[in-house]
Amino acid sequence: MQSDVCKHCANAPCQEACPTGAIIRTEFDTVYVQQDICNGCGYCVVACPFGVIARDERGDHRAHKCTLCYDRLKDGMEPACAKACPTDSIQFGEVEQLKARARERLGMLHERGVHEARLYGVDDNILECGLNSFFLLLDEPEVYNLPENPQRPSDTVVPASLWTVVVAMILGLFGVLFFRE
Amino acid sequence: MKETRLPITETSLTGVQRLVSRSNLFEQLATLTTGYTPDPERELQEPSYYDYPVLKAPTWHWEIIWYFFFGGLAAGCYVIASIALLFGSREDRAVARAGYYLSLLSLVPCPLLLIKDLGRPERFLHMLRIFKVKSPMSMGTWGLVSFSLFSGVTAVIQAARDGMLGRWWGARMLAALPQRLLALPGTALGVFLGGYTGVLLTATSVPLWSRSKVLGAVFISSAISTSAALLSCVLRLAGTPARVLYKLERLEWAALLVEMTSLVTFLRRAGRAARPLVGTAPREHGRTFWSFVFGGGLALPWLLQAGSLLGRRSGKYTSSRGLLISLLVLVGGYFLRRTMIEAGHMSSRDARTTLWNAQKSHSGTNRSTFVS
Repeated sequence: MQSDVCKHCANAPCQEACPTGAIIRTEFDTVYVQQDICNGCGYCVVACPFGVIARDERGDHRAHKCTLCYDRLKDGMEPACAKACPTDSIQFGEVEQLKARARERLGMLHERGVHEARLYGVDDNILECGLNSFFLLLDEPEVYNLPENPQRPSDTVVPASLWTVVVAMILGLFGVLFFRE
Repeated sequence: MKETRLPITETSLTGVQRLVSRSNLFEQLATLTTGYTPDPERELQEPSYYDYPVLKAPTWHWEIIWYFFFGGLAAGCYVIASIALLFGSREDRAVARAGYYLSLLSLVPCPLLLIKDLGRPERFLHMLRIFKVKSPMSMGTWGLVSFSLFSGVTAVIQAARDGMLGRWWGARMLAALPQRLLALPGTALGVFLGGYTGVLLTATSVPLWSRSKVLGAVFISSAISTSAALLSCVLRLAGTPARVLYKLERLEWAALLVEMTSLVTFLRRAGRAARPLVGTAPREHGRTFWSFVFGGGLALPWLLQAGSLLGRRSGKYTSSRGLLISLLVLVGGYFLRRTMIEAGHMSSRDARTTLWNAQKSHSGTNRSTFVS
């Protein structure tokens, strides 16, 4: 199993990167791309640590990803994937209730001796505040193509800027030193 | 056909051997600078989903490479011009004049390249809907717009003072505007424009770009070195006194040194994540990087420049050598940006390094320096 579903991260890197404000958080706490705003700059594509959001290179050249069926949610329905899944492997609901259910299921599996079972995106505080889509895994997250603890891209802005400023000041000092005589 | 080719292959064997030994040198440099020796067997033991890429590949290609190049020149020329104007002698005004003109000239293609790069170019104005401090691209848009304003006004004042706008009252009024005062915020914005591009690449999930956090420092020093090269090249051709060129050459030499230091720091801190840039395996960009960027674009011109600066004191000095140095630095600056973007594509496809980069044990130590 390898799932490309959007994690609707509590701190969504795609949303933090988006320079147009096209990517928003909805009233359902999901992350959504407003197609009438997106200009296809591609910054969200490299920001997402899960490789979820992509730009449609052959069609409309805008960024697209799972909307968690925003249209269905607004009409009081659950997302199509959860509705369609015949084994109820995909479940939809209030995040805290789902997390409680996941922990309960994990305890049950551990009791039955399935010690390799683990949760991903529940208590691990991925991207500092956790994910809103999470998984019950039977192996290391990497086996499912899930990064264990990805860096939150916006956290690098301050250190990267500081390094830049320090080096710029060194260069400026050289400039002043050489031109002033 | 194959039979006729065979003897040629055999005779060029020594050439192949030479190539292999050179690639060994590059490989040694890669290991030395990154501090990481590739171990394919151990890497194959690492869990991954059949090497299916974790990340989506960047959508950025040649437009962004040229934007980084011209943006760096626009920023660097402005900064050097302002330093010459504020701190230099009367003769150094030649540097300020050329710098302000070249800054505006290099700036012209920038917005066009950026708009061309968008998936929906007609929506470029959507960039100005919001002001988001967390998003380097949003800040970069505003920085570019504000810098354009300053670069434009400063160059127009310069043109008015140089008599290029005629002698009517409007030109006289423009010439009277306080250029030095405008140069201060303009220089701050110039430094921003020259460095934010590196910060923008850092604030992504691509291991090569994001791991070391010193890419902004690399780009700002490259902006200064390429701009000093362009300015000294143009001023040399215009017959500027050697005393003025000497200052530029010393700045170029110092900027190359700072750039090499930043780049080595970048490679060391990126470690394994820097392999697509410096390695010599198929699809890694080490050959171009070591020959055109680090060797031909930094180390060689730095040594030549050091020789020139020393030689100048003893009276030996050739201008063709200066032009060669400038050319090498400019070509190196272009290839720095090109290999960095192209190796970023490769880095995003490398599932194992992406997963390794996101492991608690690896990402934690690297992160705690500033955050937390």
